[in-house]
Amino acid sequence: MSSSSLRYPPLWNRVGSVWYRHLRVYSQNLISNALPPFLEPLIFLVGIGVGLGQFIGRMDGVPYIEYLASGLLVTTAMFTAAFECSFGTYIRLEFDKVYDGMLAAPITVTNLLVGEVLWAATKGLVFSLTVLIIASVFGILNPATAALAPIVGFMTGAMFGAFGLVATSIVNNISQFNFLFSGFLSPMFFFSGVVFPISRLPAVVRPLAEVLPLTHPVRLARAIALDRLEPIIVWDVAYMLIVTVGLTILAIVRLRRRLVD
Amino acid sequence: MCFKLAVACPSILPEANHRREKIGVSSSGVHVYLYGMQNPVISVEHLFKSYRKVRAVLDLNFEVFPRTCVAFLGPNGAGKTTTMKMLYGKAAPDGNPKTKITVFGTDPRRDELSIKAIAGVAPQEENLDLELNVVQNLRIFANFYRMRGRAATARIEELLRFMELSEKRTARVRELSGGMKRRLIIARALLNRPRLLILDEPTTGLDPQVRRLIWEKLHNLMKTEGVTILLTTHYMEEAYQLADNIVIMDKGRKVIEGEPRRLLSDNIEKYVLELLDPSLQARVEHNGNLNGCRKDGDAQRVLYYSEDLQSLERLSAEIKQRDYIIRESNLEDLFLQTTGRRLNELQ
Ligand SMILES: Nc1ncnc2c1ncn2[C@@H]1O[C@H](COP(=O)(O)OP(=O)(O)O)[C@@H](O)[C@H]1O
Ligand SMILES: [Mg+2]
Repeated sequence: MSSSSLRYPPLWNRVGSVWYRHLRVYSQNLISNALPPFLEPLIFLVGIGVGLGQFIGRMDGVPYIEYLASGLLVTTAMFTAAFECSFGTYIRLEFDKVYDGMLAAPITVTNLLVGEVLWAATKGLVFSLTVLIIASVFGILNPATAALAPIVGFMTGAMFGAFGLVATSIVNNISQFNFLFSGFLSPMFFFSGVVFPISRLPAVVRPLAEVLPLTHPVRLARAIALDRLEPIIVWDVAYMLIVTVGLTILAIVRLRRRLVD
Repeated sequence: MCFKLAVACPSILPEANHRREKIGVSSSGVHVYLYGMQNPVISVEHLFKSYRKVRAVLDLNFEVFPRTCVAFLGPNGAGKTTTMKMLYGKAAPDGNPKTKITVFGTDPRRDELSIKAIAGVAPQEENLDLELNVVQNLRIFANFYRMRGRAATARIEELLRFMELSEKRTARVRELSGGMKRRLIIARALLNRPRLLILDEPTTGLDPQVRRLIWEKLHNLMKTEGVTILLTTHYMEEAYQLADNIVIMDKGRKVIEGEPRRLLSDNIEKYVLELLDPSLQARVEHNGNLNGCRKDGDAQRVLYYSEDLQSLERLSAEIKQRDYIIRESNLEDLFLQTTGRRLNELQ
């Protein structure tokens, strides 16, 4: 056996083909997959932004609807990515057994899970872009200044994708993800500066908001969308990078035990 | 690769596990063999695997030589699947310093990618994308092997023809029968033109026609393309039909191994009388006289073995035709003899 026949596809192909698999399966039922997460921020924007906006007027120096829209740029990215890498990953792992098939092809556990995170990031990017387009069409946000905000959506997707994978490595059954969504992600939505600034939180809980993962993409997206770049966003970027890499490594270590007998 | 020439009378050639190819017969009638030195595709020594308290594989040793088919035969829970998984990195063996595993000269613990790039694996459980159609499923996997565009399409069409799935090209996997899904999984394992096929229970639960079709396809692959095949089964007929070498496993251990026909001729009498009603024993064994036959069996049935058909016929002389069967012994009998249990018995 000559050693030249022992060639396997390069890293980008291995990770990329995992990503491609998800894209194909997802786009097979595009309407039912993409419509609900698309409508969610829209309803929120109309219901809360327009309704409540009449009473609030301005927040943090901008009209309330603008404040809210700049926060919503990343929340759908968070929810879809977390959903994809919790319920989605769990079903692929335990029910459909698709990973058993995929790991028979020349990819490693690490390739597979990095592919998952990249796919979640891609969904984050797309949904962030959708919110931006809607907000721009309604004249709420200026697309010229906010054009880079979907990159924050990508980073948000990656971070919460990795977060979902870690959750997947912990749960014993699929219903336990309800704790993640109802017990953590949904409450966090209200305490991360999406609907009101964290500076309005009681002083004792304010440091807590600084630890919550959603605070950082929200502040970052808003800084870009409203063109208010401040030094603190360096901390936000660093937080997101470190947490994403850390959670991804943790997920790989923990899920390897489930994927390799 | 190194070769060793042996010039010898066939009868004194070392048999062992080594494959040999006859390359000629000299004028003096001496057979000339090229033997033994073709490197095995798979070589496993002292393989152990435990899942907490369960000892799934215990000190397993085996080799698989190029262009041959080796079948792992054994009841559920014997450790067949676990063994297959350890060959391509899907399961991690216990850390035993004596353990050696090489597949195409590569240790899967060190480099699973090189192995998976030239092997095709069809795992035991179905793991297709149910929402996608047949071609889409294959296309996704073609991408894993970096096959795209026309080359991928051509290979996919070729495999659909080979596995007789062309008509189902655009059918959703959800709509396929069990046999079609299994054929699709095998087709998927063939995308990269593998030199080694690892098939975990490729025909379990399929009807006899489909099973035969799959056997024929596997046989073709081996004979025309020189693919090496490692498969697991709990159908003795499958092992007997396809395999050059059978490894019978039970409770994590290799019980016995060999070329199917020799395995039987070396280890068990040629014929067997099977009593379907154990209460007839007394009438068969006139006063404990077994007529030189050997007795075996369990609560449900009694078996008498003999090299000599007439002895069995004499034993059965006094019972009704429908209460017994006389037949050639098979691997099932061998398994029963070595383990005291039946192949399809649930553990
Ligand atoms: N992932 C696992 N976790 C725990 N035990 C396992 C696992 N996989 C297999 N086993 C156990 O290991 C033994 C061998 O199983 P397996 O290799 O699947 O046998 P076979 O394929 O011959 O039916 C069985 O007792 C089985 O219950
Ligand atoms: Mg099995």
